[in-house]
Amino acid sequence: MSSQPSGAGASPAAAASTGPAAAGASLAANIAAEVTAFAGEVGSSGAVTVVGARTHRDVGGVPLAGTREVCAPAGVWEHEPSEMTVRCGAGTTVAELAAHLARTGQMVPLDPVDDAATVGGVLACGFSGHRRLRYGHVRDLVLQTRHVDAAGKVVTAGGPTVKNVSGYDLARLLVGSLGTLGLLAEVILRTLPVPPAAQWLEGDGDPFAAFDLLYRPSSILWNGSHVWILLEGDPADVAAEASKLETAGFAPCDGPPPIPAAGRESMRPSDLRALAGTAGGWLAEVGIGLVHRPEPVQAAPVSPANALLMDQLKQRLDPDNRLNPGRRPW
Amino acid sequence: MPSRSAALVGYGRGVTSEDAAADAALLADLRGVLGDRARDNDFERGLYSRDGSIEGSPPAIVCLPDSAAEVAEIVRVCRRHSRPFLARGSGTGLAGGAVPVGRPVVVATSKMDRIVEIDTANRIAWVEPGVLNLDLSRALAPQGFHFAPDPSSQQVCSIGGNIANNSGGPHCLAYGVTTAHIAALEVVLPSGDTTVLGGVEAEPAGLDLRGLFVGSEGTMGIATKAAVRLTSNAPAVRTLLLDFDDVSEGSAAVSAIIAAGLVPSALEMMDQRAIEIVEAFAHAGYPTGAAAVLLVELDGLPGGVEAGVEIVREVAQKHHVGHVRVAADDAERALLWKGRKNAFGAVARIKPDYYLHDTVVPRSKLTEVLEKVYRIADAYGLIAVNVFHAGDGNLHPILAFDRREPGVDERVKAAGRDIVAASIEAGGVLSGEHGIGLEKRDYMGMLFSTHDMYTQDVVRETFDPDGLANPLKIIPTGSRCSDSFHQHVPEGAWV
Amino acid sequence: MSAVRPVGERSGTASTFPLQLDIDSDTLASCVACGMCLPHCPTYRVTGEESASPRGRIALMRDVAERGEADAAFVEFMDACIQCRGCETACPAGVRYGHMMETTREALASQTSYQPRLRRLAYRALGMPRLLGFGSRLLGLSQRLGLMRLVSLLGRVRPFRQLGAMTASLPRVPVRQAPLTASGDDVWLFTGCVMDAWMRDTHRAVQSVIEATGAGVALPPAGAACCGSLHLHAGLASDTRRLARKVMAALPGEAPILIDSAGCGATMKEYGHLLGTEEARQFAGRVQDVHEWLAARVDELPEGAPTSAPLQIAVQDPCHLRHVQQAHLPVRRVLSRFFDVVELDDDGLCCGAGGAYSQQHPEVAGAVRERKAAAVERTGASVVASANPGCTLHLQAVGLDVRHPLEIVAEHLNGGAPQ
Repeated sequence: MSSQPSGAGASPAAAASTGPAAAGASLAANIAAEVTAFAGEVGSSGAVTVVGARTHRDVGGVPLAGTREVCAPAGVWEHEPSEMTVRCGAGTTVAELAAHLARTGQMVPLDPVDDAATVGGVLACGFSGHRRLRYGHVRDLVLQTRHVDAAGKVVTAGGPTVKNVSGYDLARLLVGSLGTLGLLAEVILRTLPVPPAAQWLEGDGDPFAAFDLLYRPSSILWNGSHVWILLEGDPADVAAEASKLETAGFAPCDGPPPIPAAGRESMRPSDLRALAGTAGGWLAEVGIGLVHRPEPVQAAPVSPANALLMDQLKQRLDPDNRLNPGRRPW
Repeated sequence: MPSRSAALVGYGRGVTSEDAAADAALLADLRGVLGDRARDNDFERGLYSRDGSIEGSPPAIVCLPDSAAEVAEIVRVCRRHSRPFLARGSGTGLAGGAVPVGRPVVVATSKMDRIVEIDTANRIAWVEPGVLNLDLSRALAPQGFHFAPDPSSQQVCSIGGNIANNSGGPHCLAYGVTTAHIAALEVVLPSGDTTVLGGVEAEPAGLDLRGLFVGSEGTMGIATKAAVRLTSNAPAVRTLLLDFDDVSEGSAAVSAIIAAGLVPSALEMMDQRAIEIVEAFAHAGYPTGAAAVLLVELDGLPGGVEAGVEIVREVAQKHHVGHVRVAADDAERALLWKGRKNAFGAVARIKPDYYLHDTVVPRSKLTEVLEKVYRIADAYGLIAVNVFHAGDGNLHPILAFDRREPGVDERVKAAGRDIVAASIEAGGVLSGEHGIGLEKRDYMGMLFSTHDMYTQDVVRETFDPDGLANPLKIIPTGSRCSDSFHQHVPEGAWV
Repeated sequence: MSAVRPVGERSGTASTFPLQLDIDSDTLASCVACGMCLPHCPTYRVTGEESASPRGRIALMRDVAERGEADAAFVEFMDACIQCRGCETACPAGVRYGHMMETTREALASQTSYQPRLRRLAYRALGMPRLLGFGSRLLGLSQRLGLMRLVSLLGRVRPFRQLGAMTASLPRVPVRQAPLTASGDDVWLFTGCVMDAWMRDTHRAVQSVIEATGAGVALPPAGAACCGSLHLHAGLASDTRRLARKVMAALPGEAPILIDSAGCGATMKEYGHLLGTEEARQFAGRVQDVHEWLAARVDELPEGAPTSAPLQIAVQDPCHLRHVQQAHLPVRRVLSRFFDVVELDDDGLCCGAGGAYSQQHPEVAGAVRERKAAAVERTGASVVASANPGCTLHLQAVGLDVRHPLEIVAEHLNGGAPQ
C-alpha cells in the first residue's frame, strides 16, 4: 500500500522527524492532517484498494477491475532512539525507514525480499523476513496502527509505548489481512539496535544440527543440500559461534543466494526435514518452517470454524466488501 | 472490613425466587456434566468471587472441569440457559478480569494442568491452561528451554491467565509479551464449538485470530490448550543491582542504558519504600538507605553480556550510582529476583490492602510521572510504593491502604484515576500487562475514541454475538447503541 | 491433579451452627489474597481448588469470624489442611497462617464435636508411654500373626471403616526393642512417643552420632513421653499445654535439648508462645533440632570409612523443619560432610504425611505423596534422607528407601554396618 511516490520528503510532517518534543503539538497536527486526508481519499463508498510498491500485488488474489487505487501517507514522522520506537506513514518504503534509523544505529527487521516495498505493504501481507529466527514475526514489531475503515473513519489500535495491553489487539488482526479489514495509514513500530557484528557462513552440514548447536542464530537458510547461516551480535560472540560452525565444516561467505519470491509454503519446522535432497530451486528457513519457492504455492486451507469467523469479521467490518475486493487472506 | 465478605454474605439478598429456580436448573445440567465438580455452596462461590484485585461479587455456580470436552459442555449448557460464563486461572489478575459480573458460571481451569507434549523439534510445548507459568519453565529446563513471559506472579499464575491478559513480566523487555510466545490455541468459542487458532506451521493461513484472542480476557471464548514457544536458556546471565541517592538519576540511567544500544533482558526499578519492604521479606541485601535501585539483567552469549555489564557500569557512573553490585552466582541472582517478584504481596507489611496500578509511559517521562504519582498519593492521604519495569516504561504504582478506614475506597479509586490520567497525558497507555478487565473499562475513553471502541466491540461481537463470554469487561457500557448484555457491574466494584 | 477432591460429599445447603473464632481483625486482614501461597500448598497442588488453598481458607475464616457461625462444609475445608505451613515460607506479607489454623481448630474442637471421643482418647494414649508401648507390641504381634487381615475385614463394616483404612497403611511395628542407655549430661536427646515405640533404632543412631563428637547424652525418664504436637494440630491445645508441662519437668537444667523428629522440635520451640510463661520461653530457647547442634560441630565428627564413590542422597525436608523451624540447611551441612547431597526440585513441597493427616485423608495424602515420589525420581538418587518419622513412614509405604539423615551418617561412621 503505499507511497506518495518517492517524494516522501514533501509530506508536511516528514520535515519534523526526530525533532524535539517541543515541536510535538504541530507535528501531531500535521500527522493528523495527513491521516485525515488519506481517510478522505478512501471515502465511504466504492471499491478501493491501497497500493504500495506493487511488489506483492497478487498475494491472496488481485484487486477486481475498476477498483479505485489510493496511496497511504509516507514519511518517517517520529523517531526517539531512547524510546526504541518509530512512527511512520504506512506508505513509507522499507529502504527509507532503514536509512533513517541507521543514522542512530537502529533498525526494524522487516526484511522484505525487495526493500522498495512499503511498511504498510509488508504488514498487510504479514510476511516475516529472513531474520525471523532471531527477531520474531513482523507482527510483534507493531505497537500501534491507525487505519481507515470501510466507513472512511480513522481507527486507532494498540498504543505508542513498547508495551501495551489496552483493548483488543486489532493491530495484530490487521497484519496479514491484505487490507481487507481496513487500510493502514500510520504505524508505530518497535526499533532495535543494529547488532555490532554480523557474519554469514555457508556449508554442506546438517542445518538442523547447526540450529541446535547455536544460541539464537539470526537465520538458517537451506536448499536441501547447502546451508547459509547468519550470526549477529557482539563481535566476540559472533566469532565464537562462527568458529563452532567452522569446526562443523562451514566457511564465511557474503550471504545467501537471492530468496525466491514467487511462493511461500508454510509447514511445521520439523517437517522441513522431509525436503532433504529434493530439487526445485527452493530455499527454506530452518527453525521457522517456511519454504520460499520459485513458483506460486497454493494457499493452505482454513478450517471451517475459522473460515466462518473470518467471514463474519469481514462481513461486520466491511459489509459492502469495498476494501480490496478480489483479495482474501483465507 | 465489609466489602470482602459482603461478597459472601450479600449474595442471598436481591436474588429473587425466579433467579434461584434458574440457578437450580442450571446447576442440575452442570452436575450432569461435572458431577460434584459443579458447586453452588455459599463458601465456594465466595472464594471465586474475586481475583487478585480488590473487588468482587459471587458467581452463581463454580465449575471445575478436567478436560476441554467438559469446558465445551459447560459453555453449551450456559448457552442453553442464556447464562454468562467466565474462565478463571489462578485468580491472580489485578484488573478484575476474573471478577464475576451478571451471576455467571465460573469455569476454573486449575484442574487442567497437564503439560501434554514437549516438542523440541518444533520448539513448542502443548499445555493445558491451568499449567502454572513457572512449572512450565521448570519442566523445560532439562532440555535447555523456558517460557519467556515471566510475570511477577509467575510461580502461581497460569498459562491460561497469561493468554487472557497477554501477560508480560520483567524479561519481556528483550523477549516480548505473551502473544509473541503463543503459536496456537485450542479454544472453545462462545458458540460451544471447539477450534484451533494459529498453528505450529510458519504462517498459518488466514487472519491472525490467535493474535486477536490473546489478551481478549476471556471475552472471545476459553482457551483449553496452547502451543507455547520455547525460548533457549541463555548461556550467560549477569544481574546487577545499582543504587542511587536520587530517583531522577535512576530513571535517567534507565533511558541512558537503552540509548547506549543495550537491550537488557530485564531493567527494573524500585523506590525507597519498595526497597525497605522487599528487604524485610527477602533478606537479599537490598540497600535500604537508597532512594532507588535498578535491577539490571543481561543475558545471551558471554561476550555481549560482559560488554553490556561494562556499558551499564559506565552509564551508572555518569548518573552518580552509589554501588554496582554484580550477583556472584545463581543463588544470589535468585535471591535478588525473589525480592523483586514478591514485592506486591510484601506491601502488606505496611498496610493490609493494596491497589496495584499498571500504566506505561515513555521512558523519558518516568521521572516526571513518578513525581506526579507521589503528589497524587499525598493529596489523597495514601502511601505510594513504586516497583516496576522501568526498561519498558511500565509503571506499577502501589497504593497501600487499610480499607477499614472510612472513605478510603473512594480516595484509592480517585487517586488511581488520576495516575492513569497522568500517564496518558505523558503519552502513555492504560495498561502494560494487567489488562483492562473491570478496573479500567471506563478509562478506555482516555486512550481511544468512541469509534475505536465501537470497532473493538464489533470484533468482539463476531466471536460472541450473545454477550455470554465474560460480559462487561474491557469495553465500557454504552459503546454500542445496543448493549448486548443488560447487566450492571456489582455495587462496590470500580465503576 | 484431576481426580482428587479435598473433602467428602458436599451439599449446596447446609445447616449452620454458632462458632466463635478468636482471630483478631488485623491478623485476618493481613492476607492480601495475592495467591503466592497457592503453588506451595500441597492440597491446592493436588486439587486445584480455592477451598483447599491457604488464601481460600483464610477467606473462609474471615467470613466465619464475622458471621459467628459455620457449617459442615467449613469444618471439612479446615480439616483438609495438612498444616505444613509451606504457605508461610512463601508469603510475602508474613501472614501467620499456622497460628490462624491452630486457633480455628481449637475453636472447632472446643465448641463442636470436631474431634470425636474415640479420636480424643487415641490422642490421649500418646501421652501414656506404657499404654502406647503395650499397644504397639500388640500391633506388631498382630501384624506378624496375620491378624491384621481380620482388622481389615472388620474395616468393611461401616462403624470401623476408618480403622480399616488406618491399619492397612500402617508400617511394620517392632515387637521388642532394646532400651537406650544414657552416656553423660552434655545434651538431652528427646525420645518422644510413637517414635520411641516404633523407631527406637533411629534414636540409637542419632545418639551414636552425637557421641561421636565427644558429647555425652542424657535421656529423659519415661514420663516425658509426648510433646503434644499432634494434639495441637488437632485443635486440642489444652492437651498440648498439659503435656508440655510434663516434658519441661522431665528435662531440667541448662543442657541443650536435641530433637530428631522435626514435628516434635517445631512444637517444643513453640512452648513459650503456647504457655506464655518465662519458664516455657527459657525451655523453648534450649530446644534445637539435632542437625542444628551437629552442624556447628560437624568438624568434630570422624572421617568414617572411605568409600569409592560418595553416595547420592536426596534430601526431603520435613515441613516442620523447613517451613516452621527454618532448620533444613543444617541437615545438608551434616550430610554433605560425607555424601553427595542432591536437591529435590519442588521447593520443599509437603510429602503429605502431616502427622495423623495421612491416616485421616488417605486420598489427598496419597496424591501429594505421588508428587514427592516423582520429584525424588527426577533426582536419580536411590536414598532419601528425611528428618521426621511421619514423613519417613509415609514415603516408605510407596517403596522409597527413606532413612533418617543421622541413621545414614551413623551407618557410615560405623563402617557401613547398621547400628
